[in-house]
Amino acid sequence: LCRGGLAERLCRLQNRERSAISFWRHQCISDAKIPSDKSGVLIVKILEMFEECTIQVAICQQLEQCPAMLSSEDAVISAGEPILKVLFARETAAHLKSRPQDIIHIYPPWQKLLLKNADVPVIMNTHFSQKVLLGERSETREKTYGLTKMLIRKNIISLAQTFRLDDLDDELHQEPSDNQVACAPQIPNNCDSKQHPLAQSAVNDSLLEMVESQGAVGWREAQVRVVIQRVYCLPAREGYRSHIQGNKPLHATPPLSNRGMFCRLCLLVQDAYGMFSEVQLQSLGSADDIEQYCGRWEGKFCCLAGMKILQRTTRGRALGLFSLIDSLWPPVVPVKVPGQSQDSEMMTTNLPPPSFCYILTVQSGEIHVEVDEEEQISNLYQPPAVRGLKEILQIDGCNERCSFWAQVLYLRLQTKHSVPINQRETWLFVTDSTLQNVVHIIPKVVAVSVAASCVLSRGITEALGIASRLVFFKDALWGNGRIICVERTVLLLQKPLLYSAAGADLSELTGPVRLDELDSATQANSICAVRGTVVGVNESTAFSWPTCDRCGNGKLELCPQDRGSLYCNQCSEMVVSPVLKMQLEVFLSCPSRSQSTVKVKVWHKMSFGLFVLINMLLSLQSYEVQSVLGKEVGLLSCYVHSVTSHPNCVALEEIVLL
Amino acid sequence: MDTTLPAVAEELLKEIKKAFQETSHGRDKFFFRLKFIFGPSAVPALDLVDQRSVTRVMSPSGRTAYQVLGSSGKLYTCYSSCHFCTCPAFGFSVLQKSESLLCKHILAVYLSQAMGACQELSVSEEQLTSILLAEEEDEG
Repeated sequence: LCRGGLAERLCRLQNRERSAISFWRHQCISDAKIPSDKSGVLIVKILEMFEECTIQVAICQQLEQCPAMLSSEDAVISAGEPILKVLFARETAAHLKSRPQDIIHIYPPWQKLLLKNADVPVIMNTHFSQKVLLGERSETREKTYGLTKMLIRKNIISLAQTFRLDDLDDELHQEPSDNQVACAPQIPNNCDSKQHPLAQSAVNDSLLEMVESQGAVGWREAQVRVVIQRVYCLPAREGYRSHIQGNKPLHATPPLSNRGMFCRLCLLVQDAYGMFSEVQLQSLGSADDIEQYCGRWEGKFCCLAGMKILQRTTRGRALGLFSLIDSLWPPVVPVKVPGQSQDSEMMTTNLPPPSFCYILTVQSGEIHVEVDEEEQISNLYQPPAVRGLKEILQIDGCNERCSFWAQVLYLRLQTKHSVPINQRETWLFVTDSTLQNVVHIIPKVVAVSVAASCVLSRGITEALGIASRLVFFKDALWGNGRIICVERTVLLLQKPLLYSAAGADLSELTGPVRLDELDSATQANSICAVRGTVVGVNESTAFSWPTCDRCGNGKLELCPQDRGSLYCNQCSEMVVSPVLKMQLEVFLSCPSRSQSTVKVKVWHKMSFGLFVLINMLLSLQSYEVQSVLGKEVGLLSCYVHSVTSHPNCVALEEIVLL
Repeated sequence: MDTTLPAVAEELLKEIKKAFQETSHGRDKFFFRLKFIFGPSAVPALDLVDQRSVTRVMSPSGRTAYQVLGSSGKLYTCYSSCHFCTCPAFGFSVLQKSESLLCKHILAVYLSQAMGACQELSVSEEQLTSILLAEEEDEG
């Protein structure tokens, strides 16, 4: 047999089934009592029997009550009872030795098939069937009949009747789910029903019990009801795929747009006992719908079934996951205690935070996660606690998850060339009213690092590229004096419907945003406002270059057809009227930081004098630096490249705020 | 009375086709049913599908037949207009004893159709005629 082929698979399944059947039969012989667990058992009375190609076909009546109550002489077919066609394999038929009027119990797993244009459902895979003997009268009848061999009519199948696999009315074809499967004792006939997922018997509410009562193969039958605390995307382990177009230079394409990577939608769920689990769902091409999933699913109940255990992880091995779990601890409502009765619940104040967590994933693509979107939000749900940036900057701890709502002023992509583009971090410079409205030693603007592992939706990356936006940072991480967005952090363009804001000042920013002015406390990788007078010019840095007037691409090429014209391969068109950009590095004397040499690369808001100077420098005309010395420059928004103390120098670059 | 088994077998094969077209998951359910209905032919038939042994032979007039490369290396012909196969098992189990609905080769033909695993071969009218009218080769 082919390795990994369909035949091998069927062989394995068949072997498993065979041992299950023989085990069951052995049990039936040794213990002739009818088992008390009746769920999923089909009780039928045989009316007529015949044989087709070694399969025994029995026309039966489905019985509702326990047959012990029916007299075996009541052979009347009551009109209300449904008729079934039950198929028995040769082995089963030989074991049952059934006759008309016999009552058979068919235990799950059996399968039901509905044929088109036929009223009578067909029951098959009836390996676990048992004949029910009803008292003395039946036993004597058995003995009498046992002596005579019963003749069963055999239907001959015509060879002329071939099978048509193409349906003319395929559109009207029933959903395969109509052909129901009784999977296991716990769940009666309706595994695929999406209407009433919670109507199944025995829906569990303990993740631990689920996990411990199953083997590592995974379970299919039982369901667990949990609350979805968080929804997020994790980058797919299969490797990043980035959608870089060739080797485009970074500043030609908007930053963050090269982060198209495959990711998995994940849920952090909590059960009624307070235990957490991370459920990894399907792989997504992109995280574009994450905002929708968050809005629709967070806080709701959901039923998990057919999950596979990927890993049991502990606090020491999954710091990121546990920092999120810690932010949701202790539970806001009392949780159940395992082993105690349903009614007693425990106070939650002294419970230690969890030390382990199961990571579950779906079995072979079948997703059995039914989110009850219609139902209300669970009491157990803890919405993100929004805080002001000022409060976050003053947090004492490390690795603490925090959520905030802030205005993004400026965006900068890491330029280390040793790191691949899709793994570089991005810096977002943000502020909110708690930072703007106070005069303190706290900076007005904070740099938030967005790691490559934080999956961003296209909506966010596009929005950030265009204009200054208010962004909701959910579950960012604070530690070592920095706010970072990592795995499990979600950036949203809208505030979630539910969040708690204990006294946080979430007022909108009024008036223009102010930056800290350059001073002795200014650090590298920050933004600030600069003003001063020109005291020198770095002539060698004078530079001008044409840019595309449509997209701003700074790396134009010579047109292949017409070597005199310029071509932009972002727009894939010729550039007829390029915009000329110029830059020059000037030295300023800034009163706010008078001890330092301040070097600023200006290119945007340069004064006319500087503009003229650059032109002169570039055209190698004679020039007079004197004409620009002493000119006032400011108020410029700048990004601080570096701050050195020996020599005392600050290198800045003029930026444009979003 | 009308027979039951052919309709059940046809429905099952249709389901398999639909399932394999839409998603490659959830096959286990069909495996159990396949085994139940087709018995000992199921595993060998799937093996033939795994090995891509089924070829649909077509002629310009639209006539078709199927050729299945059996496990022994012999090529058997299955008709498309009725259930017939040139293998000895067909003659014995299906024709003589009526023990099976199909032989493993005919089942492999249906499964290959359902799963899109049929190879295709176009031949001339003469060639197809000779396939259909093939004489039994003399042993030895």
